[in-house]
Amino acid sequence: MMFPFDFFAPAQREVGLVVALLVGVGFGFVLERAGFGTARTLTGQFYLHDMTVFKVMFSAIVVAMLGLVVLGGLGMVNVPSVLQTAASGTFVWPMLVGGLILGVGFIVSGYCPGTSLVASATGKLDGMMTFAGVILGSVIYGELYPYLATFAHSGAMGQRFLDQVTGIPRPLLAMAVALAAMGMFFGAEKVERIFRPRRGLPAEGDPAPRWGLWRRLVFAGMAGFAVLSAATLAMPGSPSSADASQGPRIAKGKAHQVATARWLARRMVDRPWSLRLIDVRPERTCKRKTIPGAECVPISKLKGLNLDVGPGVRDLVLFGQGDLARFPRVALTYKGRVLMLKGGYASWVAYALEAPPAPGHRATPADWAEYRFRAAFHQSMTGRKTAPAVKARKYVPRRKKKKRGGCS
Amino acid sequence: MENRTIDRPYWNPYVAGAALGLVLLAALVVTGRGLGASGAASRMGISAIDSVAPDHVTGNKYMARAKAEGRHPLDNWFVLMALGVVLGGFVAAYSAGRLRKEIVRGPRVSDRARMLLALGGGVLMGLGARLSLGCTSGQALTGGALLSVGSWIFMMAVFGGGYAAALLVRREWL
Repeated sequence: MMFPFDFFAPAQREVGLVVALLVGVGFGFVLERAGFGTARTLTGQFYLHDMTVFKVMFSAIVVAMLGLVVLGGLGMVNVPSVLQTAASGTFVWPMLVGGLILGVGFIVSGYCPGTSLVASATGKLDGMMTFAGVILGSVIYGELYPYLATFAHSGAMGQRFLDQVTGIPRPLLAMAVALAAMGMFFGAEKVERIFRPRRGLPAEGDPAPRWGLWRRLVFAGMAGFAVLSAATLAMPGSPSSADASQGPRIAKGKAHQVATARWLARRMVDRPWSLRLIDVRPERTCKRKTIPGAECVPISKLKGLNLDVGPGVRDLVLFGQGDLARFPRVALTYKGRVLMLKGGYASWVAYALEAPPAPGHRATPADWAEYRFRAAFHQSMTGRKTAPAVKARKYVPRRKKKKRGGCS
Repeated sequence: MENRTIDRPYWNPYVAGAALGLVLLAALVVTGRGLGASGAASRMGISAIDSVAPDHVTGNKYMARAKAEGRHPLDNWFVLMALGVVLGGFVAAYSAGRLRKEIVRGPRVSDRARMLLALGGGVLMGLGARLSLGCTSGQALTGGALLSVGSWIFMMAVFGGGYAAALLVRREWL
């Protein structure tokens, strides 16, 4: 399981934002090329002469759905983790009513929120107006929220997926949805052929003939992946969304390990990105001073971190002032390694913030290397310099110079 | 409709759909998050209010969430994505020669009326998207691919509402 990356963690936030921008560029580019930058294409769906919206949307759903199942089946993606982070909870009534309102807004404005952005970018004044409206509508919702809150949470089912509701395994259901969608594509083309002449358009305007091969390729690809999706059922450990809804679980036999301050310091230098530090001392103490990069999360608030979310590629290190009397069980829901800092923050202070004692004359080269690391680490943590690391030399007894007399 | 013949043609819808699906898949697989557009609009609105009346935002339970953790409301994943959408859309339109100032409307409606309808429709979408925790990108597309129950309810409702209202605003488009 190498994906998804842990972009939810604070340390990876900036990288995540850049990725978001890149995803957005791809999203916007494809939407424009699909013809979604103009209300003409988008509204055609609702007057039945141009079913591009349906075709594009369901092709995208089918490709992403099948892709996720197949990649999950191959063990490359942790599907339950993706479902848990990417899917919103299901609230039946607000989603039904919200959908109806958005549908009306869609045909009245000619855009949906995303496509109104694309339209704005391509110079459509009505697109800009629509997006301004979306902003306004969102703000109005915020102002009305105190009155709407009860309704907005009605019909709550938590994260719920169609395979759980129907009892059909996800790979099979994905195949069924893909095949049904392909059937509906043919239906949609038929509807277009009926309605295009009624709007004064040539019956066979779109797709252009040179796309014929592409269309067949996409269809063949979808059918192939649909079969492949069903085939993942035969693979061991095939993904199921059931795992996502069961809430945090602790793997059998999982216990925390113990880390020393020295190990932590080494790790912070060697691979800082693979660490996640959590200071469980009272928030005020932690806010005043803590290990650099640590998050201040008291034990009572650990649950709110949703540590079970994500692949757990980093090592989770918890620490209090001294040793933790009782290690919080919640932390063990984390998928990766969980460690407790031995001696807590106090041992960190002793190791990193106090000047290391210089090694004595009996020191071995290893001691010197250790001293040099610790001195450098201490300096980088405190800004204070310690005695320069003297190069360890082998003791060679000096030969006495022979006196040659006189003054030389 | 006449304009379409002048421009470089759009992609075949199935090819465009497959490409969109790959973008969505990449987002899901690499980041564990899907696509979204309306969340950015909400945050832009909140940030505008925040710059004039920060106390009002803090006092509102819904809007205060955008400022949680002490970050600026615009310091957010989906705001950056919206910026990317604008960028990507611009590049695509420019390279296809489709970049032009225009008000898209049917032949039987005035520019003024069209602009007002666009604004009104946008307001409705803002309300609907917030109520259902996402719009056609976040709910229908992303949630649809994840086979989320609520997303499929939402999707059906969008098409239902759209087809019903299409009969009423026929004059705007045909």
